[in-house]
Amino acid sequence: MSEIARKATSIAVKKGADQAEATAFTFVEDLTRFANSQIHQNVATYKNGLRVRAVLKKKIGDIMVGALDPSSVEKAVNDAIKVAKVSPQNELFKSLPEPKKYSVLKGTYDRKTATCNPNLRADNAKRAIQIAHDKANFVKAVAGSYMTGSAAFAVANSLGTDAGAQISLAQMAVTVISEKDGSEGHGYYSAYARNMKEINVDDIAVKAADKSIRSVQPTRLEPGEYEAILAPDAVALSLSYLSNGFLATWFQDGTSFVKYNLGKQVFHEKFGLKDDGRDLATLYVSPVDGEGVPKQALTLVKDGVVDEKGICYDSYTAGKEGKKSTGHAVAPVIETFASGPDLTNMIMSPGDASEEEMVRETSRGVYVSRFHYVRTVNQPRMILTGLTRDGTFLIENGEITKPVRNLRFTDSFLDVYKGIQLIGRDQERQAFATVPQLKVGKLRFTGVSEQ
Amino acid sequence: MNEDLARIALRTAQKLGASYVDARYVNIESENLHVKKGVAEEIRNRNLAGIGVRAIAKGAWGFAGTTVLKRASIVDIAKKAYKVACASARAKRADVKLSPTPAKKAKYSTPIRKDPFKISLNEKLDTLKTAERIAAAESKELIKTSSSFFRAHRERKLFLSSEGAEIDQKIVWCGGGVSATAIKNGDVQVRSYPASFRGNFNTAGYEFLESLDLAGHASETAREAIQLLSADKCPSTTTTLLIDGDQLALQVHESCGHPTELDRALGTEADYAGTSFLTTDKLGSFRYGSPKVSISADATTPGGLGTFGYDDEGVPAKNVPLIKEGVFVNYQSSRETAALLNLPEGSSGGMRADSPLAMPIVRMTNINLLPGDWKVEELIRDTQEGILMSTNKSWSIDDRRLNFQFGTEAAWLIKNGSKERMIKQATYTGITHQFWGSCDAASNDDWHMHGTPTCGKGVPGQVMYVGHGVSTARFRNVRVGIA
Repeated sequence: MSEIARKATSIAVKKGADQAEATAFTFVEDLTRFANSQIHQNVATYKNGLRVRAVLKKKIGDIMVGALDPSSVEKAVNDAIKVAKVSPQNELFKSLPEPKKYSVLKGTYDRKTATCNPNLRADNAKRAIQIAHDKANFVKAVAGSYMTGSAAFAVANSLGTDAGAQISLAQMAVTVISEKDGSEGHGYYSAYARNMKEINVDDIAVKAADKSIRSVQPTRLEPGEYEAILAPDAVALSLSYLSNGFLATWFQDGTSFVKYNLGKQVFHEKFGLKDDGRDLATLYVSPVDGEGVPKQALTLVKDGVVDEKGICYDSYTAGKEGKKSTGHAVAPVIETFASGPDLTNMIMSPGDASEEEMVRETSRGVYVSRFHYVRTVNQPRMILTGLTRDGTFLIENGEITKPVRNLRFTDSFLDVYKGIQLIGRDQERQAFATVPQLKVGKLRFTGVSEQ
Repeated sequence: MNEDLARIALRTAQKLGASYVDARYVNIESENLHVKKGVAEEIRNRNLAGIGVRAIAKGAWGFAGTTVLKRASIVDIAKKAYKVACASARAKRADVKLSPTPAKKAKYSTPIRKDPFKISLNEKLDTLKTAERIAAAESKELIKTSSSFFRAHRERKLFLSSEGAEIDQKIVWCGGGVSATAIKNGDVQVRSYPASFRGNFNTAGYEFLESLDLAGHASETAREAIQLLSADKCPSTTTTLLIDGDQLALQVHESCGHPTELDRALGTEADYAGTSFLTTDKLGSFRYGSPKVSISADATTPGGLGTFGYDDEGVPAKNVPLIKEGVFVNYQSSRETAALLNLPEGSSGGMRADSPLAMPIVRMTNINLLPGDWKVEELIRDTQEGILMSTNKSWSIDDRRLNFQFGTEAAWLIKNGSKERMIKQATYTGITHQFWGSCDAASNDDWHMHGTPTCGKGVPGQVMYVGHGVSTARFRNVRVGIA
């Protein structure tokens, strides 16, 4: 792929581009999905492509095609130049990034994981289903997915950048639905890894089933402010929304909470958060970003304080402020609707508490296994709304006493995380963040869902 | 040539023993333009082509897709689809059965007047720049960010099945919008036209963008963003709520569109998006809303973003009533899910995939709230006290689609039949069937198609374009002002 990226770049320069960048990528996604205790979808897909950016006197053509054969490469380059020629100048564009040295990350790719046989995935699905059903005769249905695959990209630019990365991926998620006297209880657990050897099917199935069994016949808890224990899944999802405040795009537009709290301790003093694409504790590790810039470890929150140093940039947003990219450009292999930099390797500092201790320290609170459908209601205040899901329990006088119906929360997560009381000692790897469990002094629940 | 490749895929999987095979050649082209603060920051063109093969073998599904359009790789994915199906059979409880559908040989093209891909880049950017500059000019001090957007999508789909279907479709859609962000003392207020999140989209040519008249609405859009800075916060109370079409489109999407998807009701989305409170025992009898509420899934609505000729199983576009005068009467379904429920009319024709590399799943087409008897002005005049909310800002609903909460960009207090003043940070919440049960009126003069191009569903995740025909409607006793 490196050769294709270099060739595309050199063709673009020969055809008149002042600067050019080409990124070749492949993405293999094989996924076995199950529901109602049987496999119902099973896919094996191979995607490749090339993104070309051609720059002519600050006029930029940005083309992506889903092919890597020589004629498609040439056509993509020609189209990028054609678009650049008719585009207006973008005075905010400074330059594609200069090449920088980086060291390759080892052990991020496992061939067996990347090329896993569908029978193995099917057998793992079958095993999880069986284990969950064996836990109780009122386990009604098991759903989930087992994914294996790989992602790779190579990026070259006319300034000499020549970089890339490759990882294998294995993920499993299991949802167990139990039912007693017409009342359902749901439980969920998941694992994310780069090597399928790290996916412990039995552990995932048992944890999901246990939670499901304990969740049946939930009672209604009145909305209000409660102490809350947030499992890592819930913490990670809330962080994915908080993290928007550290994006250069939000910061520059004035919608980031960081902009209005520079140098202030907005979170609890024990709250520490960084983003480090080279830290193997995170999932989507890569030594470089989508523009080939070495990924920089960023301290987002230190001792609860946020400041400008935590803002992440790609080369374009950095250029607007006369800064250098922090290595957070998104690779085309995972390009989304939004453009701009992103944080994909967050790590929240662990504490020293166990889950038992958190429960013991709670007089009346809610245990939240997962959040669901979280959305931002107010950006500068980071008011989020969403629901609990797949195991919500009432804690009374230091003990988990009963399951409760799913609750809606609406609260400022600046306030929620200012009120952190205990931080878990174990970190858990989720898709875009590796986080511990948290106990917070107050979470505002504003509604209850029906059974 | 692509037809030949699709035929090769069919033959290969059939020879191996697949009892059913379909192959889809899909080529998707898209153009995204974004003008921000006077600069064309985003000019992105994307092109993806590939073939996806879906097979039933040993009574189970297998799917494989590739972007490599060469004979050898097509043979390879056809074999893979068969092999994956056999693997699926290792953990099956029952054989897949498909409800019948006629194997059509047909063509369909979105009717367009002006091909958006043939309009010059300069013309499109001029339109966007003009609108964006008008918005920015409202206040250099307070309008901190102004943006305008354009997006066009062209999709060629060739569907061939082992039952003999050969369907060639060309779907085109486009649209855009303008937005202004006013900021003062850390208060951030956004207004958008004609809809938030990059605008409104229809299956239509460039004439649709022209009809939006972005420049003509840019000034008012920015003015309202500025007005919001000094507006009071939405009160926390229970009141009569009027919701305009731009917000109601998403309400219909989340609280009717998703829960009437039969795959959700049958539990096959339980691991991700969730299930549905509209369980199969409720079909035909459950009171979902008031008698004023009738909702259909109509893939034939002109201009709708979910309008097409045939779905990705070759089922012709249909208009299926989901809610009839308040009663839940039908699901959105696929050939497989329709067979599971023995639905006499078969699939509702909503199976779609977002790319050649994705397996089709049950998707919304155009989920339309049928218009009422009122004019918008009459609705307001008839409301003694209430709030009118407009343009979606935030949205959230539980995994069974019951407890929802929405926020809107703007709202107005209504007193004695007229809009009294603007309020900000408006939110409302409720339980789906109670909320629709409280609907006592809907307008007809502002009914039109709203496009949602980013509906997420499935694992692996897919993003589909769907439509909603809605107007302004009124709801009684709604809790507002939660945030």
